[in-house]
Amino acid sequence: MTSTIEPQGAATPAPRGTLRRPADLARNIDVSGLVDTEGGLLDRVIFTDQQLYRQELRRVFAPSWLFLAHTDQFHKPGDFFTTYMGEDPVIVTLDRDRRIRAYLNSCRHRGARVCRAESGTTRNFTCTYHGWSFNLDGSLASVPNKDGYTEDFSADQWGLVEVPHVESYHGLIFGTWNPQPVPLRESLGDMAWYMDAMLDHDEQGTVVVGGVHKWVLEGNWKLAAEQFATDWYHVNMSHASALMVLAPSGKKPKDEVVHRTGRQYSDGNGNGAGFPVHPKNRFDARTVHEWMDYDALRARLGEARVEGPLTNGHATVFPNFSYLPVNGSIRVWHPKGPDRMEVWAWTIVDKSMPPEVREAQRLYNLRTFGPSGIFEQDDGENWSEVQAISHGFITNGVALNYQMGLGSEREDGRYPGTTSELYSDAAGRAFYGRWRELMNTPAWHEPAMRSTNE
Amino acid sequence: MSTSTEPTRSRAGARADRDTHFEVEQFYYEEADLLDAGRYTDWLDLLADDLDYWMPTRTNRLRRQQALSVAARGEAAFYDETRESLAWRIRRFDSGMAWAEDPPSRTRHLVTNVLVRHIDPEENADFTEDDLLVRSAFLVYRNRLEREENVFAGGRTDILRRTPDGLRVARRTILLDQSTLQAKNISTFF
Repeated sequence: MTSTIEPQGAATPAPRGTLRRPADLARNIDVSGLVDTEGGLLDRVIFTDQQLYRQELRRVFAPSWLFLAHTDQFHKPGDFFTTYMGEDPVIVTLDRDRRIRAYLNSCRHRGARVCRAESGTTRNFTCTYHGWSFNLDGSLASVPNKDGYTEDFSADQWGLVEVPHVESYHGLIFGTWNPQPVPLRESLGDMAWYMDAMLDHDEQGTVVVGGVHKWVLEGNWKLAAEQFATDWYHVNMSHASALMVLAPSGKKPKDEVVHRTGRQYSDGNGNGAGFPVHPKNRFDARTVHEWMDYDALRARLGEARVEGPLTNGHATVFPNFSYLPVNGSIRVWHPKGPDRMEVWAWTIVDKSMPPEVREAQRLYNLRTFGPSGIFEQDDGENWSEVQAISHGFITNGVALNYQMGLGSEREDGRYPGTTSELYSDAAGRAFYGRWRELMNTPAWHEPAMRSTNE
Repeated sequence: MSTSTEPTRSRAGARADRDTHFEVEQFYYEEADLLDAGRYTDWLDLLADDLDYWMPTRTNRLRRQQALSVAARGEAAFYDETRESLAWRIRRFDSGMAWAEDPPSRTRHLVTNVLVRHIDPEENADFTEDDLLVRSAFLVYRNRLEREENVFAGGRTDILRRTPDGLRVARRTILLDQSTLQAKNISTFF
């Protein structure tokens, strides 16, 4: 599947039928000194360095569970959606047995993408370069001029490279290249309790509004992922204009909005979620608010969740999937080099919502979040601004502060796992702690000896 | 057969005359001028109370599924607005804290390829043949801070209503010629 990675210094010639990739191509840097979770300090080089970025693709993205799509995007065999895992293009599709599968979107012959549409329905994936064609189960269906190959050529060795593990949780599909991953549900741990506040309002679950907002941002992917894990702090300043517009007086937001209390969850897997617990903490569309049956929700999810992560907040599932429960906004921060990311954002609604409530949720989300949203316009400005100046030699060497709420992490008995205050960098410290751990841990593909044609 | 007077020909669906084309183009230039000057509240005055302002997302699709390449109503859109919701968006610029436009961007709205027809009421029952169905192309250049640049190119299909106060935009569909938006945000209007 992947090239063999040699220990550094080895010079054994590769036997016929395999390739060997010298370890020098993937030199790893010890990042221990770049993240200080105890002191709350971060070295800015982790946002700018090309070599660290390549190491992230190998050691953070390749072994992690990565968000692919929503199950509602697949209804009949052949429905497909193309996306990325890290920088690797993948096709997600429903096969003839109605199983969701994912493949590397790259022809095994000369490497072109075999599907260049963003979504649709198809019977097979045919490479437009030389015409190799692949079935929905990834197998190689046909090769033009097959007689040109020797008898050794075996089609079953040249199917699309499959993402070995694809699992879903309440409609969210994740995949990982890790051949022996911790199961998705287990890796989510207590984070699942917080996710359920958005995904599990009733038996019917969620569906997705058609279409995906996609846009580019000149900023490192971690700036966004980290903010959604840990940062309610920015809301009052960054989004002051949006809060003003939403305020009933239209002048300035009420004190009770600005001076919120709440909790922020974090865990050792790098997941984070923050939420106010003020009873009037809703931002959302009135139509949605009035439709919600809060008594039924309390019975199903408990008061702590209804008064907290169900009504408002922010969250990141490590490394690069984030969501906003009040908007039904779910998004991926696709890495595109150290200085760029691409944001892909979907809107989800409860399947049980009548059409006018779904529409209210959709409109509220597109007017507040997404590239034209009155909140998110300003987020884009912040991240690109931070990135734009990060390459200055002196600038790059000045540590960043993640000290808010140092030592405040505790188990409070009301919310599962470890929580801190609403205004805290606790989940940011946990996010970068997990990042450091993965960056310093050889991934499965490093010591293993796997050949292209095993 | 002969008649003493020319029969009154219906203008429904017909290409508008030269004066009308000139009038519409001048209307668009005024709109562009207001937007480039950041005079959004004045721009709102050119929009009808029942405005439908829609900018759907677009997707790369297989050729045989091209019909699905523009998001449908009710799907993902960059704008799906009423006059009221546009006013709501515009109010934020007056807060003094809308950082995406502070310092303000420099924009230039160019409008061209203007084709004007009279409305055919059989196709648009809410309008009369005095109202106009207009297709146009736009190119919006944005330069921001030190070196940020964006080009938004696309097409618009409008229905302009003729009122005693002049033309007013009653319907506007905006098709941006991009699938992945090549900008960090959209903080202007089209």
